[in-house]
Amino acid sequence: MKIKTLLLLIGIAISQFGAFAQKKEFKFGKIESEEFQTKAPGRDSAAAALKLFDIGNCYFEYNPATGFKYVYERHIRYKILTKAGYDLANYKIGLYKATGNSKEELFGMEAATYNLVDGKIVTSKLTKDAKFTEEYNKSYTYKKFALPNVKEGSILEFKYKIKSDFIFNLRGWKFQSDIPTLYTEYNVKIPEYFIYKTNFGGYLKVERTKREAITVSYAIGLITNATYDQYALTNVPALKDEAFITTIDDYIPSIEFELQATDFPNDIYKNLNGTWPKIIKELTEDENFGVFINKNSQAKAILPGLLKGEKDTLAITRLIFDYVKNNIKWDKERSKYASSTNPKVVFDKKTGNSADINLSLISLLKEAKINVNPLLISTRDNGIHPGYPMISKFNNVIAHVIVNNQNILLDATDIDMPLGMVSYDNLNHEGMSLDLKNGTGGWISTEPIFASEKTINYFLVLDKENKLKGNIVQYTKGYAALNLRERYRTTNNETEFLKNFKKTKTGLEISSYKISNLDDLDELLTESMQVLIEDNVEEAGNLVYFTPLLFEKTKENPFKHEERLFPVDFAYPIKENYRITVIYPADYEVEKLPIGSVYKIPNDKGTFTITFFQQENQLMVKSVIDIPKSFYSPEEYFHLKELFKAIVEKQAEQIVFKKKA
Amino acid sequence: MRKLIACLFFIGICATVKAQNIYDVGSISENLKKNAIAVIRNEELFFDFKGVGSGQETYKIAITILNKAGDDLAEMAEVYDKFIGVSNIKATLYDAVGKKIKEYKSADIKDQSLISDYSIFEDNRLKYLKFLSIAYPYTIEYSYTKDYKGILSFPSWYAIKGYNIATEKSSYTFQKNNGLKVKYLTNSALKTDSIKLGEKTQYKWSASNISGIEHEPYSIGLDNITDWVKVSPTQFEYDNTTGNFDSWKNFGAWIYKLNENSNILPVAIKTQIQTLTKGVKTDKDKVAILYNYLQQNTRYVSVQLGIGGFRPIIAEKVAQVNYGDCKALSNYMKALLNEAGIKSNLVVIGNGMPSMNPNYSSMGQANHMILAVPLDNEMTFLECTSQHHPIGFIGHDNSDRNVLMITENGGQIIRTPKYTAKDNFQNRKIKINFKDDDMAEIGIKSTYGNAQFENSMSLLLSEPLEQRKKINENNGIPGAELISFKFEQPDKTLPIMTEDITFRSNQLLTKGADKIFLTLNLVNRRENIPLKIENRKTHFSIRFSFQDDDEITYILPKGYNLEFLPKDIHISSEFGTYDAKFVVKDNVITYSRAQVMNTKSFPPEKYNEFVDFYKKIYQADKQKAILAKTP
Repeated sequence: MKIKTLLLLIGIAISQFGAFAQKKEFKFGKIESEEFQTKAPGRDSAAAALKLFDIGNCYFEYNPATGFKYVYERHIRYKILTKAGYDLANYKIGLYKATGNSKEELFGMEAATYNLVDGKIVTSKLTKDAKFTEEYNKSYTYKKFALPNVKEGSILEFKYKIKSDFIFNLRGWKFQSDIPTLYTEYNVKIPEYFIYKTNFGGYLKVERTKREAITVSYAIGLITNATYDQYALTNVPALKDEAFITTIDDYIPSIEFELQATDFPNDIYKNLNGTWPKIIKELTEDENFGVFINKNSQAKAILPGLLKGEKDTLAITRLIFDYVKNNIKWDKERSKYASSTNPKVVFDKKTGNSADINLSLISLLKEAKINVNPLLISTRDNGIHPGYPMISKFNNVIAHVIVNNQNILLDATDIDMPLGMVSYDNLNHEGMSLDLKNGTGGWISTEPIFASEKTINYFLVLDKENKLKGNIVQYTKGYAALNLRERYRTTNNETEFLKNFKKTKTGLEISSYKISNLDDLDELLTESMQVLIEDNVEEAGNLVYFTPLLFEKTKENPFKHEERLFPVDFAYPIKENYRITVIYPADYEVEKLPIGSVYKIPNDKGTFTITFFQQENQLMVKSVIDIPKSFYSPEEYFHLKELFKAIVEKQAEQIVFKKKA
Repeated sequence: MRKLIACLFFIGICATVKAQNIYDVGSISENLKKNAIAVIRNEELFFDFKGVGSGQETYKIAITILNKAGDDLAEMAEVYDKFIGVSNIKATLYDAVGKKIKEYKSADIKDQSLISDYSIFEDNRLKYLKFLSIAYPYTIEYSYTKDYKGILSFPSWYAIKGYNIATEKSSYTFQKNNGLKVKYLTNSALKTDSIKLGEKTQYKWSASNISGIEHEPYSIGLDNITDWVKVSPTQFEYDNTTGNFDSWKNFGAWIYKLNENSNILPVAIKTQIQTLTKGVKTDKDKVAILYNYLQQNTRYVSVQLGIGGFRPIIAEKVAQVNYGDCKALSNYMKALLNEAGIKSNLVVIGNGMPSMNPNYSSMGQANHMILAVPLDNEMTFLECTSQHHPIGFIGHDNSDRNVLMITENGGQIIRTPKYTAKDNFQNRKIKINFKDDDMAEIGIKSTYGNAQFENSMSLLLSEPLEQRKKINENNGIPGAELISFKFEQPDKTLPIMTEDITFRSNQLLTKGADKIFLTLNLVNRRENIPLKIENRKTHFSIRFSFQDDDEITYILPKGYNLEFLPKDIHISSEFGTYDAKFVVKDNVITYSRAQVMNTKSFPPEKYNEFVDFYKKIYQADKQKAILAKTP
């Protein structure tokens, strides 16, 4: 996992004060008056609020009738600094319920507001009528609480307990938030019967401040060995979102748990999913995954008529891919599991989630003897997968076809996605390809084979009224084409589409607009139009001038901030080619043409080229922006920023004509 | 058992649905398809008003979705609560020729809570179904029954459901027992059919063959060009209360009654108010002190349950917890003022909604409550949910509209103040000093008033880190490096904010040949022009009147000559005025710009003139000075 390593490398280790944890006492309602004097440190000094502490406990309970549950306790204390922090006084807890009896339950919510009035601490407890239960839907319930008497300077405190039957994933812990945290700690006690995998995430290193072997009694007369781990961080600054990242969750220091195995006395050691082969075996036997893929009644019914004896592997793949895209509508839900147990159900319903669609696709391809694997993905907003066997971190599945030793990735959720394209949300660098037949799996790169490419050609004649007449031809490819197709199709009609096109292009009038290859995804999406452009060429005395980039000028630097904490992740490379040819009146002459230049990020990681050319009464300007990578480190951010600074400056340069006397 | 009933229920549907191909898309006339993303094929709304506080609504609609732009309309989202129950939901999907593709099962219909984003809790819920079709066009159809136990208002009806949606056929039939009174309001063109059927009377409104209307920028709405009807009970029963909507006076009396006895304060608060206002001479000062007390001690928390959506939490309770919604906080403020011997009245208001109709009293014209305090023969309005509004400032969305003041004698329609262009000002002075290396030091000092203050308020209140981010992202100055910034509200009692920002940039001057081009209007440029519209249908207006005054002085770099300076520009129209002045003295260029805009409803035929006015401003705003190096 290259990306993962990179994230950890850029991490800054925060100094730890192990002693703090031992000395400090976290007792509900025990507030020291000096806590009211607490201020947010350093650059966070003007924060809306701060977390004085945030303490979590996670341990197990046993009931002979219902078995093991885990208990999650949280105790949090805030200091409100400004009115912008008032929202923290409304607390919300989500609880999950499965279709059977399994559920999460909330116990003992204690909460209070403390105010310092004339040097005395006044306590206002959470009142009964300020507790609400929102039954969001069948699966989720929200418990909500509103604290009384909140003012600037108030201290707020919440303490509660959740008991959960869902021991596969224990509730994890986030050690940083959008307000500064003075101290945060998570205590986890796991009996020897359960073996969990832990996943640390984020750009700060979380310290394990304790590991002790302890004994616990879950039932009378029974002593069980357990492990007690404590993780903590001190003085964690506020974390704010940045543009061009996967998800801020990738950068928040955190810990997550997934059950790997059980080891009960008088029972065999059960490896649930401790290794990839184990996970793959489970998935192969899962009726919403492997078993689903293997059901071939739908394939048998469709394939003969669809393939008509076609022998070429790539052609077969294409036929099946197009068939699935054209017959099932995506319901915008992502899943790695199908919602039914047979592709036939999906084809009958004609709609489905991402797994319904892509596992159906795999089922058909498999039946047609194509070498295909499901490819598990953690989408960008779900965050980067830690790399080791952890099934719960995947939230999507696409198809991985191997043709002539080449990997082709297929995602049939969007009718406009060509063969081999992975959608933006799925561009999270790597995915796990599962060979269900041999029970093996391996990481493969999901880096895009397409860029976002745009080529724009203007051919114009300038008249003496300062109007430009001629035509524009635009070619789009890759992600730019995908976006343009989406925009075109979700607009009511072409008139409306052109209105939107003109909105930001003041002075542009369009006639005979034509778009071609709209449905031919493998061809260049091409737009051509006749244009009349006013209001762009200006006059001053005997000078006539204009910016040759016209509507395609990069007006502002997209990288505006002085500092950058996280890598820049565009998802895909970007290419923009612009060429304008202008024929100008014979009695104009160009005053000193700007000088062309090339700007490069070291090691060719980004290039901007602009050239100016003039011959007789014809002028030509070319501008090429090439961002060949999708991922830049925070250090490289400044190179990008400088590159775009040059782009903004050079693209703003004017062409000046002088009228001959 | 319940499962069995559900099964039988669906068999019932299968048996009764026999209509074949009535939704063939081919049968829609061309004039309806033009500009349309969807066509309402048939809508039937029937309301049976059975008794005060009880009624039944039956509804059926079929919509053809013509293209992907219409997908958002392919859904059913019906709200219910403990007074209105939804049942008997049926939903079907048809293909382009009107062939049935799919009948939805009750398991397909999602049931979820529905809580406004400003509330912590409400009792509304939603029955939701998303229809999905891979092929276009397609037709969706659904129907349901709603039973009302407690009625404050009846469903309204609009011939047009939204922009680019045509209506083939739609009707609303309202039936009532003869003993019951209702009133209705329609647009002037709509015809009402009234039929007596023995013990019952029916009113019927309908529409057919109406083409879709395209969205038009700056539109003030479709109400005066389309058909609509609103129906309201005169007597009502809801959550154990009764009242009548005969007039605003009576409506107000009902609200007054809901608030009765809710302004008692605990002794401790009374004492505190006495202490706070002791020795304060004028009522005006007392109001200021108590409003500040409210803002420092309370916060906004909204909980809306049944009649609680109309009745405030009592003042005594607010005093204990120091939070509440608009009603609770307004009522609490009223109690505080009352303790100081100052009379005030609750005001029911439509925040961001059309002005209340003085001649038609009903529910649904308001969504908010503020407080009116008569002071020195003038009404001071207090927005009690804001911890930041200066006293008397109620914001643009509450200004210049009819509102209902609640008095002991019932309701009374009054008007909130209007903010003029002068009130909503922006005053800006910029100094730009070019150093020898083209590096410019830029100092921007701005002052914002009223509506423009309101626009900038969130920036004023955010953390410095957030402010820095916003300035960097939105300044629009090429190559700007932020040096310092400061936002202040110099007088907390006035809706005026000052902003002081300094930048540095070496990209203000653009090159071209041997010349240097300088766009004189640095930050307040009109960057685009709205498109002209042939045959515009709706009236238009800008959001609020305003006056912008900008002045920029440029100290030019050494070694440059000014070769060209634009001529002064004056543009005047009924929409507003604009002046740009360009003055040079030695090495200093002074650019000044004044724009005054008036909000007012203009008829559609004036729109293209409005576009021309903006076009002239656009052209004026990009005027450049040309400099050349001294030889």
